[in-house]
Amino acid sequence: MGGDLAPSEIVTGARRAVDECGLNVVLVGPPDLIGDPQGLEVVPCTEVIAMDDDPGASVRKKKDSSLVRAAELVRDGKASAMVSAGNTGATMASALFRMGRLPGVVRPCIATPLPNPDRAPTVMADAGANTECTPEMLVQFAQMASAFSRTRYGIERPSVALLANGEEPTKGSPAGKEAFKLLAALDGINFVGNVEGRDLIPSPVDVVITDGFTGNVALKTLEGSLKFILKMLLEVIGTNEETRAAGDVLFPHLLPLAGQLSPDTYGGAMLLGLDGICIISHGSSNATAIMNALKQGAELADAGVVDTLRTTIRPDQAS
Amino acid sequence: MSVSRSDILSLVQTQLGEILEKSPSDIVEDATFADLGADSLALIELVEALEESLAKESAGFHIDDEDLEDLTSVRLAVDYVAAKLQAA
Repeated sequence: MGGDLAPSEIVTGARRAVDECGLNVVLVGPPDLIGDPQGLEVVPCTEVIAMDDDPGASVRKKKDSSLVRAAELVRDGKASAMVSAGNTGATMASALFRMGRLPGVVRPCIATPLPNPDRAPTVMADAGANTECTPEMLVQFAQMASAFSRTRYGIERPSVALLANGEEPTKGSPAGKEAFKLLAALDGINFVGNVEGRDLIPSPVDVVITDGFTGNVALKTLEGSLKFILKMLLEVIGTNEETRAAGDVLFPHLLPLAGQLSPDTYGGAMLLGLDGICIISHGSSNATAIMNALKQGAELADAGVVDTLRTTIRPDQAS
Repeated sequence: MSVSRSDILSLVQTQLGEILEKSPSDIVEDATFADLGADSLALIELVEALEESLAKESAGFHIDDEDLEDLTSVRLAVDYVAAKLQAA
């Protein structure tokens, strides 16, 4: 029940997920904070984790918080997925502590979709869960994000690249350069080398791997740049009568593009590597973003993404 | 108290090994958590796992969050848990 626009946009998005997508959604939070649940079932709790609370400590102290309770519903098989637009670190901590990591996974990572015109999104991991990464962690992120791309977008053999400051194998952070060698020698991954920041949107590859610090900075830079371009475009169109008339012609063609580029269309990013589905939504998520995040969570559960990831990291665990 | 110091060391080695995907034998007593690559989330995972395991020996066994920042090595953590159990 977190997020900048909670509770109204969260509850409305959940209601729309029921009405427009046919999902079964429960709200987890203190009833007095939720207010009108719009006819949805409420799983009550007494605490909330604030956006500025320390992630690890707050999850330990606030055991009756909405984040912890939601993660327990997934752990206990009472929900297929959890979605939160609240404190990102605490969302990850609650999911990690309650659902647990899949066997063999050192650290979960955030897999976020980056839009491409006319083809499936590129999956970027890690988008912010781990600020410091070892080469082995980057290799695992590549394995998990590749399996995610295959399951989520139906890409049979996703192309995987490392994000670096040059395409040559000698470019990148120390961990990135070591991961380059490991990935190049690894079977089962379609590793194609390095890509640069300019290759994120649109991207020539299906999966981009980086540490969480770089990934988060890159993601926020893209979001800020796109917002800035849109703002400038609207200012130019509003300059005079002639440009406004041109805008009337262009708008119907620009709107679908704006929808494709909007984070609201994708709803959120999945934490890969946990024994359950957790979707982290943007703090400023509106009702459309929450509806799409819930839809994504349900689709990932139906696709059996957790079992796919389980056998990706430990093939011996295939049932 | 029926849990010896060596039992506690073994428990920490096993549980931290699982969290860090390392062999328990790599979790040597002199190692700092930083040396082992254990970040704050890994340490909280360890604390939660220890509390769950040791609750059977000492009902309500709890590690205070305020004490966590002083527990920087395997040895300090084992000594701390042993002292807590002794006092219970």
